[in-house]
Amino acid sequence: MRNRSSGYKKPIPFLRKYIGLIFILPALLLHLCVVMIPSASTFVMSFYDWNGLKSPTFIGLNNFIEIFTEDKVVWVAFKNNLIWMLIFLIVPLIVGLFVATLVVRLKHGQMFYRTAIFMPYVLSAVIAAKLWESIVNPYYGIPIIFKSLGFDSLSQILWLGDPNIALFTVAFVDNWHWWGFVMVLFVAALHQVDEDLYEAVRIEGATKIQEFWYVTLPGIKPTFVFIISMSIMWSFTTFDYIWAMTQGGPGQATEILSSWIYKNSFTMFRSGYASALCVIQSALVLIAFIVMRILGKGAEE
Amino acid sequence: MKKSYIEKQKRTNPMVHIFLILITAFQIFPLIMLFINSLRTDKEIKNFPIGIPTSLDFSNYIETWQKGGYTSAFISSFSIGFTCVLVILVFGGLASYALAKLYVPFKSFFLGYFTLGMSIPGFLFITPNYTVFTKLGIVNTRLSMIIIYSAIFLSFNLLLLRTYLIGIPKELEEAGKIDGCSEVSVVWYVTMPIARPIFSTVALLVFVQCWNEFLWANTYLSTDDVRTVSTRFYKFVSQYSMDLASVFTAGAIAIGPIIILYIALQKKFIEGMTSGAVKG
Repeated sequence: MRNRSSGYKKPIPFLRKYIGLIFILPALLLHLCVVMIPSASTFVMSFYDWNGLKSPTFIGLNNFIEIFTEDKVVWVAFKNNLIWMLIFLIVPLIVGLFVATLVVRLKHGQMFYRTAIFMPYVLSAVIAAKLWESIVNPYYGIPIIFKSLGFDSLSQILWLGDPNIALFTVAFVDNWHWWGFVMVLFVAALHQVDEDLYEAVRIEGATKIQEFWYVTLPGIKPTFVFIISMSIMWSFTTFDYIWAMTQGGPGQATEILSSWIYKNSFTMFRSGYASALCVIQSALVLIAFIVMRILGKGAEE
Repeated sequence: MKKSYIEKQKRTNPMVHIFLILITAFQIFPLIMLFINSLRTDKEIKNFPIGIPTSLDFSNYIETWQKGGYTSAFISSFSIGFTCVLVILVFGGLASYALAKLYVPFKSFFLGYFTLGMSIPGFLFITPNYTVFTKLGIVNTRLSMIIIYSAIFLSFNLLLLRTYLIGIPKELEEAGKIDGCSEVSVVWYVTMPIARPIFSTVALLVFVQCWNEFLWANTYLSTDDVRTVSTRFYKFVSQYSMDLASVFTAGAIAIGPIIILYIALQKKFIEGMTSGAVKG
């Protein structure tokens, strides 16, 4: 400090200049070796025909051509990913925001509700998925309860066995695990909305709905944007709940990009083709990531 | 101090509480069912999915623990979890300190790198790593999981540490320097004690992430002696799917440690898991 005030500029010594870089190095190297370089190699492998063992042969864009022209499953998977995304853009946001606005006004019990509602989020996806699988099991789960209550038609629904319902059942379970997280984010955001603004619109004679629309919503916009972009990104990479509950079945009813990649890669041994699918999946995520950055900047202003 | 908007709402409609209690019940009923059914017999569960256990008999647990090979699974999960915590605290601690407090050339590039690194889908690098690990002969070992988890959970936790370190005012550290501390001892005696809560949060988060992770463990670990708890449970369910009492007990054992941790440290959990969002 003394040096600076006298206008004398000390040259940065060697250690001072590079110590920061040295500190970053272990983390950077680990991440490069395990995440970045292998990811780049997947991009390269997407132009090859490879079964994971023999030497790969270069086939140019053939994998991508097959994805877009021959592979019917990938479109089913993509459609399911889109349905998944729509569900996750609607249900957790509405339920999460609604419950958050209720919880945030409570004088007592805020912590209790927050803790209990958030709890499913910390649990292992496989265990939660298997637990729910037994809950909806037609032979010893909820259907038995429905039957004993006299709801015969309800009790006959095969929650995971019916191709028209299975995807929604899994999405329901994943929502159960996810929306508590969304709610807690909203509670934190609502606590930060400036009280003076509420005062101001109340003096103007605003209704509750106007208050919500003109004060609350703009106040929590950054959180909103964050959750929306996260939901979009994760919708294309979701895997655990689907894999643990249905493995893409029955038939291809709950097939998603991730499960299709997994099958190509580890059960059909089409590594090259799976790589091409990964590239497409990553491109979708990357687009969502960039849009999130741009929108996020807009929301901060 | 100004009263916040929230505090001004004095009366709470009892209907709100009833509604929230119903919501809460929905969130935790599967867990309650899991623990209750772990105490019931297979026959009772198959007869009716919910009910009160006839006796408080924990012999189920001992039996399932042995059948499921949970001793080795717990050793696996704990050793992998603790090692990853250590690696991430050291690597992430160093890098986040540099990114928060030190001169680093191209700093924004590195920040962008780790932000992007957080969002890379696992499938993009799962196969190449498998090939490399097979060549190195470390596939199906705990070491492989330690390497993978340390790398994939690093970015998020590193950035989390950095946001906290940036919040520590420079004046405190300057004061330490004026008092004659060396730079290293400033870090040790001033910065570290202030940053301790965030380091413990990161330790907790990493441990839970390792415990819960499924895709990588299920792909890379193929023998029971190295399987982690969540993958061991997955296998157990497919083996003993007909014996419901053991399935529920196995689930209770696998989920138990995390539930206990969560109830004891719920504030830390919630703050840690959501703080990535607050700063974006």
